[in-house]
Amino acid sequence: MQHLTEQELVLHHYHDEDSPSDVAQHLASCDVCRAEYASIRRVLELVDEMPIPERGDNYGEKIWSSVRWKIGGRSSRRSTWRSALAAAAVLAIAFFAGQWWHARNVAPTSVAANASNATKPAAAPASTPQVAQNRILLVVVSDHLDSSQRILSQVANADASRGLDLTSERARAGELVASNRIYRQTAEQRGDDRLVSLLSDLEPVLQEIAHSDGKLSPDEAAALQKRIDAKGLLFKVRLIGAQTSGQETSPAAQKGMTRL
Amino acid sequence: MSDPATVTRARAGDSDAFRLLVEQHSRPVFRVAYRMTGNEHDADDVVQETFLRAYRTLDRFEERANFGTWLHRIAVNCALDLLRARGRLDRRYGGDPEEAEMSGVASSDPQQDRLLLSAELCDQVAAAMERLSGNERTAFVLRHFEGMPVEEIGKTLGIQVNAAKHTIFRAVRKLRESLEPFVRNSRHATSD
Repeated sequence: MQHLTEQELVLHHYHDEDSPSDVAQHLASCDVCRAEYASIRRVLELVDEMPIPERGDNYGEKIWSSVRWKIGGRSSRRSTWRSALAAAAVLAIAFFAGQWWHARNVAPTSVAANASNATKPAAAPASTPQVAQNRILLVVVSDHLDSSQRILSQVANADASRGLDLTSERARAGELVASNRIYRQTAEQRGDDRLVSLLSDLEPVLQEIAHSDGKLSPDEAAALQKRIDAKGLLFKVRLIGAQTSGQETSPAAQKGMTRL
Repeated sequence: MSDPATVTRARAGDSDAFRLLVEQHSRPVFRVAYRMTGNEHDADDVVQETFLRAYRTLDRFEERANFGTWLHRIAVNCALDLLRARGRLDRRYGGDPEEAEMSGVASSDPQQDRLLLSAELCDQVAAAMERLSGNERTAFVLRHFEGMPVEEIGKTLGIQVNAAKHTIFRAVRKLRESLEPFVRNSRHATSD
């Protein structure tokens, strides 16, 4: 009698053989092959005991916390786009307002300036369109930082051990994420590295709040506070917010205002 | 909420629905990732990458299909990519069955024997799986634990069906070489 090969027995175990009935018939009548087959099964049963490290009930939450940054939210896509459009609209308004201001003020000023050009060679370009645009942009960025600061303060000053309820801040944070992107891109185009850096740090924190389910566990709240603290984010937002706010109202500051 | 309903919402752009899917499927995905990589941290990375890829390709998911199965397929591909990146798909068998048999030392206490044996068996099974090449391990895990048909395993690994069958066979043979001494010891110990 020709015995079954080891491969045929393995295939039989997984029901992958070409003619199952032939193999079954042979096994029924051959002690040697039956013993060999039993040996294979015992090893495979042992493999079933392969230990797999435990992952706790909150493993899914941890994975979600890790991946949600990378995927961004789609549930708030509509409102996010609205916010982005609003921010873009503000920037467009800033541009056209600058043009309008230029057309209305700069031309007569230029005439006057031309008349007295010989005596004032280094007149400050206080009413150039660039300055007008910057002034409006500073207002909106200052508002943006002010709103962000309020949310960050609430998180940073909360008692993390009790968890954190951010239900009412989620939607606002989502809007701020959208406008934050627009302002960051604008700041990049204008080469304002300091503001770019701040807005880049701010964005993921706002995202985390926007994409949270509103109620942060003590661990999540502590982790968020740590992120804010690690980058000194609240301090930077306050500082740059105060500076932009000062620039927007200070004529003296406008002289050197070539950046957002 | 059922998977199909949640998937439909996730496909429509609802990130809360996708979050539910992540929470429901993370642990099963971890199990397949760990079986394939044999390393906890790698398995965690594979789980994260799996959900990222799933999110990016949700539009391609056919709603008639089983989401868990689809996700497992992605996990398998992520694990394969990781194994390839680490050069672990070409690793050859380096186990020594005699050495493995020698390490099966018995103590004088039968109860202690069984406990030690049980813990040691777990280690030996893990070690035996480690000795498989990447392709062997993948093919074996997919067939033995995931119940994937050999045709699909062939497609997943980019090999012919017969080659897939042979890869599974090679894996089983290596596992036998590594573990049969322990099967014998295990039977002796439990029959004492």
